[in-house]
Formats: sequence, structure tokens, C-alpha cells
Amino acid sequence: MFWGDWRDKMIEIGRLCVKTAGRDAGLKCVIIDILDNKFVLIDGETRRRKCNILHLEPLKDVIKVKKNASHEDIRKEFEKLGLKARDTKPKQKTERPVKQNKRELKEEPKKKKADAKKKPAKKEKETESGIEEKIGTLEEKKKPKKSAKNAKQDKG
Amino acid sequence: MPQPYKRSRSLRRVYVKVPGGKTKLHYRKRKPGKAECGSCGAVLKGTLRERPNKMSNLPKTKKRPERPYGGVLCSRCMRLLIIGKARSK
Repeated sequence: MFWGDWRDKMIEIGRLCVKTAGRDAGLKCVIIDILDNKFVLIDGETRRRKCNILHLEPLKDVIKVKKNASHEDIRKEFEKLGLKARDTKPKQKTERPVKQNKRELKEEPKKKKADAKKKPAKKEKETESGIEEKIGTLEEKKKPKKSAKNAKQDKG
Repeated sequence: MPQPYKRSRSLRRVYVKVPGGKTKLHYRKRKPGKAECGSCGAVLKGTLRERPNKMSNLPKTKKRPERPYGGVLCSRCMRLLIIGKARSK
């Protein structure tokens, strides 16, 4: 495509353009800097980036913008025109829900039950030990009293 | 003699290497036609040509170019349209 001289004449700092190629096609932008006879720096609704002149369609309006103006200045200028400059938010870290295996989910309540079962089991053991103690006490009763006293001291 | 539906050419034939080591003939359904530009009819680039069961599992960015009218118009027609809109205003 041959565009002629008019395109070169229209390319200046502050010229409003429409981007005609790529992801940002159809969005408005301003020329901030002229890097080359081919490339310019643009910002606005599009991303702030280097751009080929052939990928821009210049419009009739020109904004007062300094060379290499910051993104915030351009946002203010765009607000005057009723346009929204592109806002890039830094991605907020979102906590991913940790995947849980169905098996584990199923096992968890079982474990609780198992624990619940264990507790009485422990009690039973205790009772068993209690029985042993009782037996022991019975035996102790049979035995002379001194040994029983010693056993009580051990407990204490 | 193969079954009648295998004798017609409505299914495409694929040679598949089987785990046993042999190469066998498999019959598969044909792929859909190529995507075309809505205005000029040119074949679109960057668009996939697969059966719907595979397309449904793929991300959007793999199925069409990431630009306005991507997968509908070719790049040249899209550019002309956008330039026309910009100039008419």
C-alpha cells in the first residue's frame, strides 16, 4: 500500500489516531513521540507501545500533549474528550481453591468415626487396666497389707 | 467384504499404528470445511478446522486470531472496515 506524502505530514505529536491492525484495532490513541520515519510511540485507549505509521489512521483532531507524556497526563486529556484511557491493573493474587480428592473427603468423616471409636476403646483399655487393678487389689488383699501400701505409693 | 458404510467415501480413512505393531485402516468422520471471510470469501488464517467435540475443549485463543472481527473477517477487510468507520466520523 502506498499512502503518499499526506500521511507523513499528518504524523505529529498530539495527533489523534485510530489503530487499524492487531489486538487494539479500532481503538483511539495519541502519538506521543516520533521514533523514526516509520515508527511512533502511542498511548491512550490502546496499550502504550511502539507502532508502525501504516497501522494508524490519523484523525482530524490534535491534542496538546508534551513529548513522551506520562500515561496519567494522557488519561486526563482523554477524559476531556470523553474517552477512557486504558487502565492496566496489576493482577491481584487470588488463592486457588485447593483440590481435594473425593477419597480423602469420604475418608475424613470415617476417620472421625474411627477416632470416636478409639476413645471408647481407650476407655475400655482403661477399664481393663481398672479390672487388672481390681484384680491386683484383690490379689493384694489376699497378699499381706504391706504390698498393697507399696502399690498405692507407686500410684501416687 | 467390508461393511457397506465402509465401502462409501463418506468417511475418511486413516492408517493407525496399533499397539501390536501392525498398521490398520481406521475410518473417521471428515473434518468440517475451512472458515472463510464474511466479505471477500478468502480462506481465514489462524482458524482451526476440527470436529466440535475437540473444538469445545480448546481455549478461544487457539481457535481464532485475537483481534476485532477475528475469525469472521480477514485482516484486510477488517482494516478497510475500521478505516471506513474512522473516516466517516
